[in-house]
Amino acid sequence: MTTTGTTTDDDERPVALSEPVDDPFTTLPDLTPLRDAARAGDWPATQAFFTALASTENPVENPVENSAEKVSFASAQLAGLDGVETYLERAAAEHPADPLPRTLLAERYIRIGWAIRSRYRAEHVSRDQFEQFHDWLRRAERLLIDVCAEQPDNPAAWTARLLTARGLQLGQTEARRRYDRLSAHHPHHFRAQSQLLQQMCPKWSGSWEAAHAFAQECVAAAPAGAHAGVVVAEAHIEHWADLDGVEQRTYMRSVSVRDELRAAARESVLHPDYAPGWSWITADSAFALAFSIGGHFADAAAHFVSLEDRVTEYQWQYLPGWKAAFVKYRKSALATL
Amino acid sequence: MTTTEFAPEALSGLIGCTTTQGIPTLYAPRRGGQVTAGLFFRVGRADETLATAGLTHLVEHLALHRLQLADLHHNGATANTYTLFHATGDEDEVVAHLNSVCAALRELPLARLDTEREILRTEAAGGRSGSNSPLPLWRYGAQGYGLSSYDELGTWSVTPDQVGDWARTRFTRENAVLWITSESVPEGLDLTLPTGTRRPAPAATSALRTTPAYICGEDGHVVLTSVVRRSTAAAVFADVLGRALFQDLRQEGGYSYAAEADYTPRDADFATLTAYADALPQKQDAVVGGFVDTLARLRNGTIAQSELDSVRGKKLKMYDVPDFAAASLPGYALDLLLGHRILSPAEHRAELAAVTVADLHEVAREAWASTLLQVPGHRGVDWAGLTLAPQYSGTTGVTGSSHRSLESEDVTLVIGDEGVSVTTPRGVVTVLYDTCVAMTTRPDGARGLTGPDGFAVTVEPTLYLDVTPDRIARIDAAVPEAAVVRLPARAPEHVPRPREGAAQSQRSKDSGPATWVPTWLRTVGGRLLAVVAAAWVLLGGFTIVRQIIGPDGDLGGALAVALIEVPPVMLLRRLYLVHRMRRR
Repeated sequence: MTTTGTTTDDDERPVALSEPVDDPFTTLPDLTPLRDAARAGDWPATQAFFTALASTENPVENPVENSAEKVSFASAQLAGLDGVETYLERAAAEHPADPLPRTLLAERYIRIGWAIRSRYRAEHVSRDQFEQFHDWLRRAERLLIDVCAEQPDNPAAWTARLLTARGLQLGQTEARRRYDRLSAHHPHHFRAQSQLLQQMCPKWSGSWEAAHAFAQECVAAAPAGAHAGVVVAEAHIEHWADLDGVEQRTYMRSVSVRDELRAAARESVLHPDYAPGWSWITADSAFALAFSIGGHFADAAAHFVSLEDRVTEYQWQYLPGWKAAFVKYRKSALATL
Repeated sequence: MTTTEFAPEALSGLIGCTTTQGIPTLYAPRRGGQVTAGLFFRVGRADETLATAGLTHLVEHLALHRLQLADLHHNGATANTYTLFHATGDEDEVVAHLNSVCAALRELPLARLDTEREILRTEAAGGRSGSNSPLPLWRYGAQGYGLSSYDELGTWSVTPDQVGDWARTRFTRENAVLWITSESVPEGLDLTLPTGTRRPAPAATSALRTTPAYICGEDGHVVLTSVVRRSTAAAVFADVLGRALFQDLRQEGGYSYAAEADYTPRDADFATLTAYADALPQKQDAVVGGFVDTLARLRNGTIAQSELDSVRGKKLKMYDVPDFAAASLPGYALDLLLGHRILSPAEHRAELAAVTVADLHEVAREAWASTLLQVPGHRGVDWAGLTLAPQYSGTTGVTGSSHRSLESEDVTLVIGDEGVSVTTPRGVVTVLYDTCVAMTTRPDGARGLTGPDGFAVTVEPTLYLDVTPDRIARIDAAVPEAAVVRLPARAPEHVPRPREGAAQSQRSKDSGPATWVPTWLRTVGGRLLAVVAAAWVLLGGFTIVRQIIGPDGDLGGALAVALIEVPPVMLLRRLYLVHRMRRR
């Protein structure tokens, strides 16, 4: 880990904070056994990790801490580890009746496909890249169709099917149907909300009206202290990233956007009932970013205080040189305290 | 009248079995004064060829011609594998009707042929001829069970001799089964028919290289067909599927108004399973997704015992109807006709009782393996593990004279010694002369050739360069005469002309998304082949025939009741048609 002892000319207080760390296996020590199991290609240990999550309390009144959120979160993190498809394929073959290895394998296929597609807008992706991308997603989808048939309440599988639906362009109503199927078992599932939000953005044939409305719908429906408020921040960041020039520079500065962000933060991460779970870094990262872009450093401060040097890079990547930007914004925000 | 006893063991004590002038006859009494009788023949559309399509229907019309003004309720129906004449009235009336039908079959009023041809074409133009679903032609090609997708082309071409031969060889006593709702076979029947043989239902053909497969179709409709072995479990499965689709797509999702499934025997051993859901255009993506998921659940997920039990309960209720024996006559008669096993009510109840959730899973997997799914739009369903049905005959065509399209420079017609091809950048469509199942001709030189696989090439001299009369003569000399269908001259304004700027638009279309407008109903030149049905009727085959005959496995009982209560059936049908028109 690199440490930057940053002091600037006009700064009276030397700030000694590190560069941000975005590796979830580092920022969330709870995940260490999962990474160790994956590195060792150890299916029984992987299975034990997920079994332990599923058997924890699942209080409906506390959707943030429930096991579905953790299972879904951990599935996504495992999928980010290079090479795990090898042992997951083996596990799926050896345990054909168990949906878990197929679910995790499908998540990994999706990640492989998306890495080939790249993050760029469609016009910058070659035909060959698209073909490979779609091929991986179809492999994932075919696994997930059966998993969802076998386990209609599988939160990770339904969430992953939001990604396949988006990448394969199966349409807005199909994505929504999948979300609704998931919600019937796990309302306010944060990762799914975040994924459906992407689908509703114009880049995936949605609209800003639909995207913002969905974010507000999530907040309105969720109990106080749920992660749903984060979806509001994510929607504004997506909107901001899609704009250019003056429009982009002024978007987050507007009072109405700031007020919506403040309300959303109050309903989620700043709420007394907020239970951080494993998504809290993602949550605070989104608010820290949104407030910082708008120059609302006093609002951003609370989130940077929680984050310290932890971050989920996902939306921060919209900023060129985002790690430096993170350090700079954090400094400005902490200076307001 | 001669009466010879014959008795399927399963029906003893329930239904009387005899032969009437050589025709196997089933009878059972029904309360009330009226008698219903039906005379089945094992001949139908699947026995025809594309060039003679409509032959059976013409015989049926000619046989009924003299009876059209009779007072009793009667009708005729031509299905894929059978033709049925049925009537309801006083015993004397029914006897007179059957006698008259057989008299007409013995000596068809062929002088009426041209009039009946017109009537059938008018019936088809009005969309009243039943199903024109495109799915059969994609599955079976332009032959056998695929012909129900097509218009009755034979109404243009069949000769009086052909019609007469068809009646003599197919409408025979050995190829018939009679059923009648009476205590005994009535006196006074004269059902003398020529002697012949019982003809098994035609073997199925296949135009699909792999299944499960899909085609892209009209907005607003998702339709599945599959072929399963006939069994009590498969009939139960169809109802379970229909209920599951209704639950998932309508009650839970609100994506569809109609969601239903149907099981219809195809021949002695196999049945066609059809499932259908409609969709608002803006919700059809969700309908496709929901359809795929419902099928996946029935294959690999949980089927609740209650889903099975409620369908089983409904099926058992058919035994509670009054005059059950009479109501089950059409179903038993059809089984006898097709050579399917005959189950006694006790055996059928036992089979129903024995159906398990595991059996339903197995049927679901069997159905999926042979699925052909029609989905709206051009998005396709390859993501769900289905393969696009063949869009082209192959990659190479015949060799011969090349004629560039005047509408698209990428498209070329080749007239060769073995057949004709149309080549496009994406593939080639070829029809070989010696296997050509129908060639329509126009006096202006146009030729429309269809191969047994359903691929078609239209040769329009006005749309391709240098298609001279000697090239047309080359085609005419090579196509078997039996396949030729001579159509009348077209009005000059109906002779196609190259569209202005068509070459441009064709190019942009071909460079479009990978899911090319996938219909070989459309010939590659971009013109609709006139002989092919364009109309899409919901849930093909919802003719009164099927409403009468009903499903298999349950002995046709549930729907056979409808025949006993003809007026309600007619009312229901009318309601259904009104409902259908509204939905379209």
